Amino acid sequence: MAFLNFLISGISLGSIYAIIALGYTMVYGIAKMLNFAHGDVIMVGAYICFYAVARYKLPPLVGILAAMAVCTVLGIVVERLAYKPLRAAPSLAVLITAIGVSYFLQNGALLLWSSNPKVFPSVTGMGKISLFGGQLTVSLVTVVTIITCIVIMLVLTWFTGNTKMGKAMRACSEDKGAAQLMGINVNSTISMTFAIGSGLAAIAGVLLCSAYPTLVPTTGSMPGIKAFTAAVFGGIGSIPGAMLGGILLGVIEIFAKAYISTQVSDAIVFAVLIVVLLVKPAGLLGKQVNEKV
Amino acid sequence: MMLTVENIDVFYGAIHAIKGISFDVNEGEVVALIGANGAGKSTTLKTISGIMHPRNGKITFLGEDITHTDGYKLPAKGLAQVPEGRRIFLQMTVMENLEMGGYIQKKVPDEDFERVFAHFPRLKERRSQIAGTLSGGEQQMLAMGRALMSHPKLLMLDEPSMGLAPILVEEIFNIIREFHASGTTILLVEQNAEMALQIADRAYVLESGAIALSGTGKELAESDAIKKAYLGG
Repeated sequence: MAFLNFLISGISLGSIYAIIALGYTMVYGIAKMLNFAHGDVIMVGAYICFYAVARYKLPPLVGILAAMAVCTVLGIVVERLAYKPLRAAPSLAVLITAIGVSYFLQNGALLLWSSNPKVFPSVTGMGKISLFGGQLTVSLVTVVTIITCIVIMLVLTWFTGNTKMGKAMRACSEDKGAAQLMGINVNSTISMTFAIGSGLAAIAGVLLCSAYPTLVPTTGSMPGIKAFTAAVFGGIGSIPGAMLGGILLGVIEIFAKAYISTQVSDAIVFAVLIVVLLVKPAGLLGKQVNEKV
Repeated sequence: MMLTVENIDVFYGAIHAIKGISFDVNEGEVVALIGANGAGKSTTLKTISGIMHPRNGKITFLGEDITHTDGYKLPAKGLAQVPEGRRIFLQMTVMENLEMGGYIQKKVPDEDFERVFAHFPRLKERRSQIAGTLSGGEQQMLAMGRALMSHPKLLMLDEPSMGLAPILVEEIFNIIREFHASGTTILLVEQNAEMALQIADRAYVLESGAIALSGTGKELAESDAIKKAYLGG
């Protein structure tokens, strides 16, 4: 039963990584940039939800929606102010800007909300579900996290495969110049992608802090980096890849913690990443396009 | 006058790629821009379709100044381009590519797909195939079909014969004739001067970013200078 318990915790943690990784991968797919500030958007989302629920006593759902709304706007504003002027700049300049935005958000949070850890109220309640006659107990947060992740995956798959906007996003991620010739407004499509990614980051932030309730201004950075790893692991630019990479990363991390050592679990996670990239440089589900000439 | 290009200067950084080109396209015409590699043909098309903008000069389309209009707004005005190298969406299906071609419409009507399939029956057979798996000729057809989906008044084609076997080149030019016969005005950029001059009502010869010669397709095909430089005789 312990094994099953670890597996479920792993999938749950992995689901959070997966939701964050989706933001990385979608933005990378379309803007061809690594938005290293993405992890800090998670933190902002968590703070918004914290204040809404713990201070203003709003219902958790309202807190989540407020967090999503703020993060969506934050994502659009950051893109407009920091990244859009660099659309033609070398990718190194964009990368450094993203790191700058990351520090800006962390320090802004430090200024606004101080470095004192906040105890995050669980948005799902403290309930537990017992299975197999009490041999296996799973917390409600875990279940909600996994279900949320599945729903997000289904909705995004449907969105990119069946809606006009989603198809335009895929077209832009393949060839912005050609997309523009079709009459697609590339700038607003990129904006839209940042909005979706940041909205998802808010959800991830709330779920993360519900499972690990200590909230500080640097809360988002480590999960952000791990989710970025997950996105690369699964094949950056690929939506199913981000989901698979995230969940695998979570499971590997929890198993490493449980069966090997808590201290070196992160080292093991990154070692696995290195091995996978040596064998499959494009990641597990990375796109290998054969262009015809 | 459908399209008027007046004295445009286009730069790539410090490089003066287009040096004061002027030409026009009348409704119902096939106009060809021919010239060697690097003469500025593709740059001219990119400037008309708003991918690049000229430093000086003016571009007018159907009476409207589009010199600095954002490129994505042009398909809705009736301008479509089949870009050099096809640039189809390789990871999307044939149908999805056509759907993107009709992006400016709220919902693409079935007749539009059928109209494209009438020109390209082979695309219909391969409608649910991923575009990257098509042959080079089929990809060119898809690129052309995709451009038709927006019901362009002026269709610009950039090197549609590039990299294709001679028999396919014939086929592609026949289809351009079909497009023209169905009422679309055509601006054609080609290195294959022989084919281009056969089909063109009028043509302009570009040399290092400027217009060196112009005339009807027939005049140019018979001119000694052209024969020497572009027609291998």
